[in-house]
Amino acid sequence: MTTIEIGRLLRAGTTGFVVGCRVSQLESPSFGALVRVPVEDQYQIYGLIHDIHIDDDGLVRQLVTAEGIDEAVIADNRVNRNVPIEMSVLAVGYQLEERIFHLLPPRPALSLDTIYLCNDDELRSFTSAGRFGYFRHVLRAADLPVGDLLAAHINQVQAAQVKIGNEDWGIKATQELIVLLRDDYPTLMSVISTLGDAIPDTWNGVKS
Amino acid sequence: MTEYIGYIVGGGLKENLSIRLTVPSHEVQEGAFTVIESGDWLFYGLVTDLRLGATDPRFADEQSETRLPVSLANLLHGQTLYTNLEVLPALMLERGPEPGTPEQQAWQSEIDAGKRSQPHPLPVKTIPPHHARVRLASPGDIAEIFGDAEKEGNFVIGYTREQGHPVCLNLDKFVMRSSGVFGATGTGKSFLTRLVLAGLIQYNRASVLVFDMHNEYGFDDTASDTGERVIGLRTKFPGRLRVVGLGQGAQIRSQTPDFNLEIAMRDIQPEDIELLTRELNLRETTPTTLDALTTTFGRDKWFLKFRELRAGAVIEGEDGKRIPAPDSVEAWANQAGVHPEAAKGLHSKMGPLFRRSYIVEHPASDTVSEIIKALEAGQHIVLSFGDHETDLDYLLVSNLLTRRIRQAWEKRTNEYRTKGESEPRPLVIVLEEAHKLLNREMAAQTTFSTIAREMRKYYVTLLIVDQRPSQIYDEVMSQLGTRISGWLGDDDDIRAVLSGLAGREALRGMLARLQPKEEVLLIGWGVPMPLPVSSRRYDQHFWDELLGAASGERGESDILTELGF
Repeated sequence: MTTIEIGRLLRAGTTGFVVGCRVSQLESPSFGALVRVPVEDQYQIYGLIHDIHIDDDGLVRQLVTAEGIDEAVIADNRVNRNVPIEMSVLAVGYQLEERIFHLLPPRPALSLDTIYLCNDDELRSFTSAGRFGYFRHVLRAADLPVGDLLAAHINQVQAAQVKIGNEDWGIKATQELIVLLRDDYPTLMSVISTLGDAIPDTWNGVKS
Repeated sequence: MTEYIGYIVGGGLKENLSIRLTVPSHEVQEGAFTVIESGDWLFYGLVTDLRLGATDPRFADEQSETRLPVSLANLLHGQTLYTNLEVLPALMLERGPEPGTPEQQAWQSEIDAGKRSQPHPLPVKTIPPHHARVRLASPGDIAEIFGDAEKEGNFVIGYTREQGHPVCLNLDKFVMRSSGVFGATGTGKSFLTRLVLAGLIQYNRASVLVFDMHNEYGFDDTASDTGERVIGLRTKFPGRLRVVGLGQGAQIRSQTPDFNLEIAMRDIQPEDIELLTRELNLRETTPTTLDALTTTFGRDKWFLKFRELRAGAVIEGEDGKRIPAPDSVEAWANQAGVHPEAAKGLHSKMGPLFRRSYIVEHPASDTVSEIIKALEAGQHIVLSFGDHETDLDYLLVSNLLTRRIRQAWEKRTNEYRTKGESEPRPLVIVLEEAHKLLNREMAAQTTFSTIAREMRKYYVTLLIVDQRPSQIYDEVMSQLGTRISGWLGDDDDIRAVLSGLAGREALRGMLARLQPKEEVLLIGWGVPMPLPVSSRRYDQHFWDELLGAASGERGESDILTELGF
């Protein structure tokens, strides 16, 4: 099984953590991707990447204002940055021994723990466990771009589920979202509209 | 596999139950017979309303299908827009624990041992809990409530509207109380009545007397709307049903009736004349004049004698003055102390009766007694009015005949009760245009209202066929057991048909929204719960089903078997 390491933990709390990574590691993770942090032998935390940001440092500030910068300087600055690229992750569950919980982790990960991107198998086993309980954590995070995050996430999972013939995962997930949000018209419409923009045409065979 | 259509989300005993529909709304119609499963009990109810709802009105307001991909819009609508059914709970039935479990076996053995009564449908006294599942009734449910079509005495009157399961009428219960067939003109009342009559005659537990004002029931007829030939009851029951024509030499649909009815003058009583107040435009002095007539001539002869008097006849007196002749109306009036003008007026207004060909001094035979005898012997009579189709004939003859019949049945009932003689045969009198005889003014005077009120005490009940039930006296309407109603447009008529029933409000709309043809609502004491049905068609297929083997030709093999080959 391939494991893609995407960085190490910078800081963490119960509801989420921040991962620092090198530019060379930035090609794999994407917004909405599911990551995991093995904490102990039988315990790992799952999270959704909801923000990737690149902070500046003093040198970048100087270079931005300079004229005619050499390509080599730009490349050097990018690769050998002093400040890591930061990815904010929302904790959405954990695995203890063989069982997956869509609950907040009992203990956060420790700094410099390695963070891996979940592969298709891990993605499917996490998202198929229970009944979409982890949506709660996403919907509770009012300051996040919930619609876009869910749309990106659902799209990625659907692609993985379709590979094993599980065509209607996306429908069930959307149904669950509608049920959770049907009393909150503005949020639901925002999420649904975003999903509408994001989902591929192949979804159109959905039963009413 | 059972297909559920929804689940209970609210409601109550008084305000009906609310059911969230989980299938497309077009799969369920108003009036659908539903079954709610709740633990050991089944609840039976009737859909009285369908209502659209939304978790938030904005989901309903906004046409999101134009903004979202079809798939998402469908998902969104599936979760936020819904249809609620309103169900009028009517009956509940204990079905016992889950079949195959030890509890069920214990429950069944308690019933078998007589420790627990056999479950039967009860009027609803409680409600099922939230989320109890709801399904449309299966043929088994309908047979449980309305009776098994295979069982004798259960007559299939129609079929459920969605699934076409047969719905039965219990004929024993039907004849136990007076009943009614209602519907605006052209809704198929006559066909429905023919169906019911065919069922009654075939079942043969009660005799039937039909006052056939428009000569529809006895011989074959032609349908007024389709022009098709309609088979008469006489054609199918030649041995059991007699057609009686009114008046000597009467021809009914160009056919000669089995016998003719003539009314003896002695049978006409002053009350019969009072009944015709409106038809003859009689004055308020009439009762006094009639009273004087019976005092002078006696109850048997007054009609004959009054008829013989001449109005305005004068002779010359001894003093040369013109005075009323001794056989004049005026002379009798003076003698009897009645105002001569009142007597003259009555004489002239009774003219149409004096001229009726079927009213004779000495009838050729005592047809009334023959009719009574035939009915007692288990035959059925259709009295066709032939050319005498006016209200006057109808009111006079039907009331007079019914009075005689009722007297005969009353006598027989009393003999049965006191002397232990054989039980009288139940009789159903079919009255067309019943409002003419049972309206508020007439009801008190006719025999019919007495029959309707007495119910089955004297083994005579009515089957009222009418298009204006609102014109029928409330007291009579409220006594009707089974009511079968086609489409009614008038509010008053709808109110009248539903009088005295639970859930009137819910049924009112249902009655107004029945299809104008071939859909009827079964209501009243005689049916376990109200139910709209598609009425059975009166055609050859019906006769084949009803008469079945009885009317079928015997095959060669049957005959050979009978002969012992």
